[in-house]
Amino acid sequence: MTTPTATDREIAGLRCSEVLALLSSWVDGELTGAQRGAVEGHVRGCDVCERFGGRFAAMVQAIRALASDDDVAPASLEQLRQRLRAP
Amino acid sequence: MSGLAPSEDDLIAAARGGDAAAFEAIVRLHGPAMRRVARAITGDDALADDAWQDAFVAAHRALAGYRGQGSLRAWLLAIVRNAARKLLRERSGHDDEPEVFTLGLAAGWGEASPEDVAVASRDRAQLWAALDRLEPDDRELLVLRDLEGQSGDEVAAALGIALSAMKSRLHRARLRLLAALTHPGGPR
Ligand SMILES: [Zn+2]
Repeated sequence: MTTPTATDREIAGLRCSEVLALLSSWVDGELTGAQRGAVEGHVRGCDVCERFGGRFAAMVQAIRALASDDDVAPASLEQLRQRLRAP
Repeated sequence: MSGLAPSEDDLIAAARGGDAAAFEAIVRLHGPAMRRVARAITGDDALADDAWQDAFVAAHRALAGYRGQGSLRAWLLAIVRNAARKLLRERSGHDDEPEVFTLGLAAGWGEASPEDVAVASRDRAQLWAALDRLEPDDRELLVLRDLEGQSGDEVAAALGIALSAMKSRLHRARLRLLAALTHPGGPR
């Protein structure tokens, strides 16, 4: 494991730890315009948060992409039919 | 389905009247999402199959009492959540919530080059493997909110918690998933 270089820097009026706490609200589009501007300003000026925020957002996108509608397995459907027929 | 397919309301009405084909159409429509939620909560294929079966049996019985409050999918997802949690109930216990900053460090914040995480999260199998290493509560939240795309309000209502509490738990769950992706061999 790489040693974390966890210097909690203040850039664009926000500390790294504050950006970290706001990442979900950021990817969910729940920040006010001012908050959003501050987060994005910090991220532009902070390589640590830029990297981490990018990975965080990519991961959330990837979870969303898991929702493919596969079909119900035929065996499951058959088992369910039998249970529904039972008294 | 074609444009001539019966509406969901028609299917519900027919299924209530004992039309097995209509109920099966509902199963085909919502079964895959329910299977994903069951799998996410239980973290186990066999348990998920059992929960899925139990849920549809329960839904079949309860359909007469379904009043169309909220969407059918939300109603079915609530039933499968209950079924899955019932099967899981022997598991319990929670540690105190760690600080977001601590979770961030575990997820690789400040690390120089965990670039392979971006690749890993695009790989469905690796992403599911990381989800499997989370606690059921975290998995449930991520699947309902991110994977199934329910709204924050819907998920908060389903879990019976305030929206703010749901958001706080969601953020922690996402950080824990990122940690699981960043350190696949690390402690759970
Ligand atoms: Zn920063």
